[in-house]
Amino acid sequence: MTTHILRQCLCTVAVLFGLLLFTLVPIGCGRSPSDEKPQEMVLNHALATRLTGLDPGDQRNVTALTIKSQIFEPLYQYHFLKRPYQLVPLLAEDMPEISDDNLTYTIKIKKGVYFQDNKCFPGGKGRQVKTQDFVFSLKRIANIKYLSQNWSIFDDKIVGLDDFREYTKTCERREDVDYSRPIEGLQTPDDYTLVIKLKRPWPQLLTYALSDTATAPVAKEVVDFYGKDIISHPVGTGPFKLKEWRRRSYIVLVRNPTFRGEPYPGEGEPGDAEAGYLDDARKMMPFADKVVWTIIEEDQPRWFLFLQGKLDASAIPKDNWSEVITGSSDLKPEMKQRRIHLKTFLDPTTFFLGFNMQDPVLGNNKPLRLAISRAIDRKKFIELFRNNRDVVAHGIIPPLIASYEPNIKEKGYARYDPKEAQSLLKEAEKVHGGKLPTLKIAIPGTDTFFRQFGQFFKRQLEAVNLDVELDYMDGPTYWEKLHTRSLQMFASGTGATLPDAQDLLQSFYSKYWAPGANSFNYSSPEFDRLYEKIAVMFDSSERRELYRKMELVVLEDCPAAFLNHRVAYVLHHDWYKNYKPHAFAYGVSKYRRIDMKKRAEYKKLLKKVK
Amino acid sequence: MTTYIIRRLLYTIPIVFGVLLLTFCLFTLVRGDISVELAGKNATQETIEEIKQEYGLNKPLFLSWDSQFIDHFKNALTFDFGRARDRELVRDKIKRGVLPSLALMVPMFFGVLIISVSLSLVIAFVRGTKWDTFAVVVCVAGMSIPYLSFILFGQYFFAYKWGLFPVFFSPDLTRSEYVALPVLIGIAAGLGSNLRFYRTVMLDEMRSDYVRTAFAKGLTTRCVLFKHVLKNAMVPIITRVVLAIPFLFLGSLLLERFFGIPGLGYLMIEAIGSRDYFVINAMTYISAVLFVVFNVITDICYALVDPRVSLE
Repeated sequence: MTTHILRQCLCTVAVLFGLLLFTLVPIGCGRSPSDEKPQEMVLNHALATRLTGLDPGDQRNVTALTIKSQIFEPLYQYHFLKRPYQLVPLLAEDMPEISDDNLTYTIKIKKGVYFQDNKCFPGGKGRQVKTQDFVFSLKRIANIKYLSQNWSIFDDKIVGLDDFREYTKTCERREDVDYSRPIEGLQTPDDYTLVIKLKRPWPQLLTYALSDTATAPVAKEVVDFYGKDIISHPVGTGPFKLKEWRRRSYIVLVRNPTFRGEPYPGEGEPGDAEAGYLDDARKMMPFADKVVWTIIEEDQPRWFLFLQGKLDASAIPKDNWSEVITGSSDLKPEMKQRRIHLKTFLDPTTFFLGFNMQDPVLGNNKPLRLAISRAIDRKKFIELFRNNRDVVAHGIIPPLIASYEPNIKEKGYARYDPKEAQSLLKEAEKVHGGKLPTLKIAIPGTDTFFRQFGQFFKRQLEAVNLDVELDYMDGPTYWEKLHTRSLQMFASGTGATLPDAQDLLQSFYSKYWAPGANSFNYSSPEFDRLYEKIAVMFDSSERRELYRKMELVVLEDCPAAFLNHRVAYVLHHDWYKNYKPHAFAYGVSKYRRIDMKKRAEYKKLLKKVK
Repeated sequence: MTTYIIRRLLYTIPIVFGVLLLTFCLFTLVRGDISVELAGKNATQETIEEIKQEYGLNKPLFLSWDSQFIDHFKNALTFDFGRARDRELVRDKIKRGVLPSLALMVPMFFGVLIISVSLSLVIAFVRGTKWDTFAVVVCVAGMSIPYLSFILFGQYFFAYKWGLFPVFFSPDLTRSEYVALPVLIGIAAGLGSNLRFYRTVMLDEMRSDYVRTAFAKGLTTRCVLFKHVLKNAMVPIITRVVLAIPFLFLGSLLLERFFGIPGLGYLMIEAIGSRDYFVINAMTYISAVLFVVFNVITDICYALVDPRVSLE
């Protein structure tokens, strides 16, 4: 009896489970299987964070820049192969003519550059780019109603642009702004000549502003047609155009059929030919037909997809480090067997434990700040949290930047000396006028990694008898508090966006206090004087010396305990060609090529490896 | 019946108003001024003021016809939630996320329900035997294993190691292909607690007098179990099932994130992470409205399955 009932019930379960599986089939009414052509060259990438928008005039996060830079092109770009990094024309015909007083730049733009085809143009055909489009892009950023995060780049730089911004304040809506109003500092004598007049010399105009997608030409027709939805409808001049963007999921770019073509560099630095970086010299780009970015926030699936050959390149997740890298920082044989290659390169980043210099306890107590700096064992920190891959930061300027002081280590600003820390603390108590209160460190995350990270600092500081409280918070809360100067100590980092230390040193200029770049709210008349001097200086040995001097001023005052400069370890499959690391370029998909034969062989190789 | 339904629907009006008031207080008073946050790094005071103007943050909170609360009220009633922090319409975000979430949650929900109700009937019938003990041990074990472990284990073995399913969402996969493994993982992870619950419900019924009477009258076991026990166990089942339906729209936070399913669970977790109040506010409001509606449906269902419950 029992068996009979059991059998009946199990049959029922089986039938119902079958029905359940059947329900999965009609759900599959989404996309049909790949419409990828058999010989289509597809670059498969992953993004660790979602894309927020594709409007070149706004949004400055790395993810947005990575995608936008394949679609939009500014006037200049960094040479893909040459080091030290060198600026070369992109949409500009040549390097600019600069007046003797360094205030007027005359730039000729290339003819025959077209906007990508889009329904906002008559007949759907993209029109030719003119200098007026560059001016429109800059005016758009200046329009206060547009609320661009890029305005700080141009604030008080170009003659008449600030007046234009003032005028936009008087407009009711962003659509009411009259973009035909002339600006003295942005002139277009003809359709292919752009004249920019500056208020004072601006050495970063080319290396930063005009090589950034923020200044890429945008057609007014596109802005008028899409309005606020322009974030989803990028129309640029670049080698790729947007085919599909499924938010929080994937982005597909396809080759732009109206792209004018651009030759792969014909020369590089010594060793490039041997490394195969010149195999495609002078061939027309882009090589790939399609670029797919899948948004994968978790390490595990990203790593599995890379090992399955479904991603061309990947960083090494912290938890998989020992599976990939040997004790001598080389690839393990299992990885080599899979024909995976390792690339390591210096990242222009600096991580630190920052001090709010306006905090009543820390700001007026230099011995206390020095004691905290001496109490942190940076090597241990790098070993624990970065698998020993980074280098100790002795200052703000990373080794990749030309003005890096090679002997900075000997100055001992980042030395680990708990005994000295303890004696400094005694001095700090005298300055404070009694026992030091509990200090608070803000940690920008709440997950296990950040908790371990916080515990490390707590343990290090408690070892020298300093009471510390950890304040874990989510990213937005952290940034809000940082911008409103309400944190006491904060774990943070910064990266150079151009090969110029000015980008990092501005973090200490007193006019850029939070919410500006100076999160430390640091102020030094000597530093400010030097900063104002270098702000109008072009690259020279004198400027580099001043950069080093400024860094020493900062290190003496100790507004932060500098921790580490990142060294990136990236893996890629052997089919992924022209993968030369570049610290300052985002629009690099055009250089990449896939060896289709090798990619096809990987499946067989996987079976062998298994 | 109609009067009852109308009355219940009328009750929902103050509840929805309460939800609106609560969400407004949470997202406006407790949250504080978000204009600095929206302005980002290097923003000037004038940009912050413009943001206040654009988002209506410079309006009075309550005491005006043109207040922030009235805007909040109007927007919610018209389901116009404005634009998210990335300037995309919140409505579009939600619309796009509903289908993937339902594709994941509906089969998972019915899978767990069908399997656990059926097995609970069997287990209730063989109560006290080694099969029952075995089932309880398995259920407790299933409940004790963290949800994340099911995901990591399933993804590693079924997708990566054995290649039976895709590891992650990919544009060239059909929806059934990329939800299959998450659905199975969700079913496996949800079975323990559900089976335990339904087993308890069934056991309560199996011990009732009417079951003994039915057997004494010579009814078949099948008839007793499926016609009488299951029907009488319907009230707790309906309570659990109908009230779980609104949550199907919210998707599964972890499964969607690990398998790249662009559903509402993923949207919500991301909105919380990036403090996108516009999205969080919309999702909270929609969930609350769905919850209220399904509560009414639950009450109506009680009367349909149990004649002892009178709606009058």
